[in-house]
Amino acid sequence: MTASAAFVVAAAAVAAVSLAVQRLRLGRIAPPLAPAKGRAAAGVAYAFTVAFAPWAKESARRHLPTYAAGIVYHAAILAMLVRLLSSPFAPALPRAGGAVVAGCLAAGLGCGLALLAKRAIDANLRGLSVPDDFLANALVDLALATGAAAALAPAWLPASQLAGGVLLLYAPLGKLRHMIFLLTSRRLTGAYFGRRGVRPHPAEALRG
Amino acid sequence: MAEAAASGAARAARALAERLDARTAAFLAACVRCGLCADSCHVFLADGELDSIPGRKVERLARLHRRYRTALGRLAPALVGARAVDDDALAELEDAAFGRCTLCGRCALHCSVGLDPAAVLRYGRAVLGVAGLTPKGIRANADNGLATGNNMAIGKEDVGETIAWLQDDLRSTVGDPAAAMPVDRAGARVLYLVNPREIKFFPLSLAAAGLIFHVAGEDWTLSSTDFDVTNYGFFAADAAASRELAAKVVRRAEALGVEEIVTAECGHGYRALRWEAPEWLGRELPFPVRSMVEVMADYVAAGRLPLDPARNPARVTLHDPCNLVRNGGVIEEQRLVLRRAAADFVEMTPNRVDNYCCGGGGGMLAASEHAAKRLETGRVKAEQIRATGAKVVVTPCHNCIDQLMELDRHYRLGVEIKTLAEVVADAVVLPPSH
Repeated sequence: MTASAAFVVAAAAVAAVSLAVQRLRLGRIAPPLAPAKGRAAAGVAYAFTVAFAPWAKESARRHLPTYAAGIVYHAAILAMLVRLLSSPFAPALPRAGGAVVAGCLAAGLGCGLALLAKRAIDANLRGLSVPDDFLANALVDLALATGAAAALAPAWLPASQLAGGVLLLYAPLGKLRHMIFLLTSRRLTGAYFGRRGVRPHPAEALRG
Repeated sequence: MAEAAASGAARAARALAERLDARTAAFLAACVRCGLCADSCHVFLADGELDSIPGRKVERLARLHRRYRTALGRLAPALVGARAVDDDALAELEDAAFGRCTLCGRCALHCSVGLDPAAVLRYGRAVLGVAGLTPKGIRANADNGLATGNNMAIGKEDVGETIAWLQDDLRSTVGDPAAAMPVDRAGARVLYLVNPREIKFFPLSLAAAGLIFHVAGEDWTLSSTDFDVTNYGFFAADAAASRELAAKVVRRAEALGVEEIVTAECGHGYRALRWEAPEWLGRELPFPVRSMVEVMADYVAAGRLPLDPARNPARVTLHDPCNLVRNGGVIEEQRLVLRRAAADFVEMTPNRVDNYCCGGGGGMLAASEHAAKRLETGRVKAEQIRATGAKVVVTPCHNCIDQLMELDRHYRLGVEIKTLAEVVADAVVLPPSH
């Protein structure tokens, strides 16, 4: 195993342990005592399915380009992570596979840069931001760019693994923690509205 | 003064480090500051200010949390925008949690990440409470409730006089000398909790409830003590006060031996008792808690409350109180009732769980220091109402009633504001025996 491959494995282990510890430190969230009107499970299912649809949330409906960029960006990040974590054990990709991966990551990179530009240009969004928002985006974009290059040209693999390893080490520290807490957050809010019979709306629940 | 303020900041810093439930901690770690929540908030829609974006309001607390609870917040606070608690930071948090947020929760439905900013800002209110920065009016109402059993400190005698007068009125309306507004009747099936404002300023809504119970043949009672459906501890996010205020009415219901509590048309009061009280008290309540809205819907559906919509010919629209609808799950019942009680019922847009807050939620009506902002943010609701062409706005919540009445004057809407029970009472067809 090369040094850069070992760095990825070590960084992934550190990130996984650190994020797991942070999640465990939240403690147990006790189920509510008030009798339910709807079903928490239905609300959670809604939060992880229909609620991702562009028509389900006003924030997506009213900002479709940003929503689409976010979806592509995160899908590409997932692909990049899969490739990054498999790269120490399978350094080479078949030519066709490499082109597909590179295309996906490049599309994600484009969306990431667009979101970064929006954050820098839009006055409200810039006012809402802290340096971590820009740094996190830049680290991800760097990992996407080097990942795309490595998928096409193996000579880029060490650079890709280095950028990916740094990203993994940073993940438990700043806003990238949302990769874990987003899941918890969606589950909790889904259960909250589900128990109260708010989401899915009773009519939607009847439709299944 | 400076020393007191410093000790307030120190207490807040300690609360941030020590008091945080898992749910809120998850939300604080999940926000990505995408800003897509902005136009789900009526405050931002009205003023367009950066400080009114829900993500920004969450950030007012999150940056303090990061300073004390995250590694980077301690090591490189500038990188993650972490900030130590001081008087300025607390003033900005107060502006965010009390001045620019009614805890309506509309942003929670539309957050791209799925976090609940209202839950975060409720925690912010708790931190502010520890620092002694709860708005005076909210604090005073909570303290009145704790000391006297109702937030307006109305004495037992005054309650008795008002109810006796309403009972006379009921008897004359229904032509039945035996018609009653029963008080402290042990063994009744239902204990009806009222908003003290009904006794003091809005007896028509209490009279309407009496008429509805009478026509439906309900076995019910009022209480002369601990009758208050409101819970200002909930607005203050003061867990101890919330618990004690809820415990008072639960103890009263247990003493009377009722089978059910029915809350008057009060959004937060319903939510506090129906959904939150079991958590505060650490046990399930021994009886169901329902809103008068749900009870009226049941009466109508069961044919116990004959209504003639022609008696309410004017166009009526419906405002959805956030705590009853979005956070309480009472969504369709009021619509079922209104369709039977009014000839021309039109929805405002958006409606149901997507309806905008009127601007009076979260205890804002008691926070006089934020009155100007409250009226400004009510513009969104005023525009919704105007677009319907309605002459009557119905809302099952007394805080909303107060705010909508002010909006009516301020924005010259020319509408009448009523509770659902008042509209129903106007439409009631008395049985021939009456």
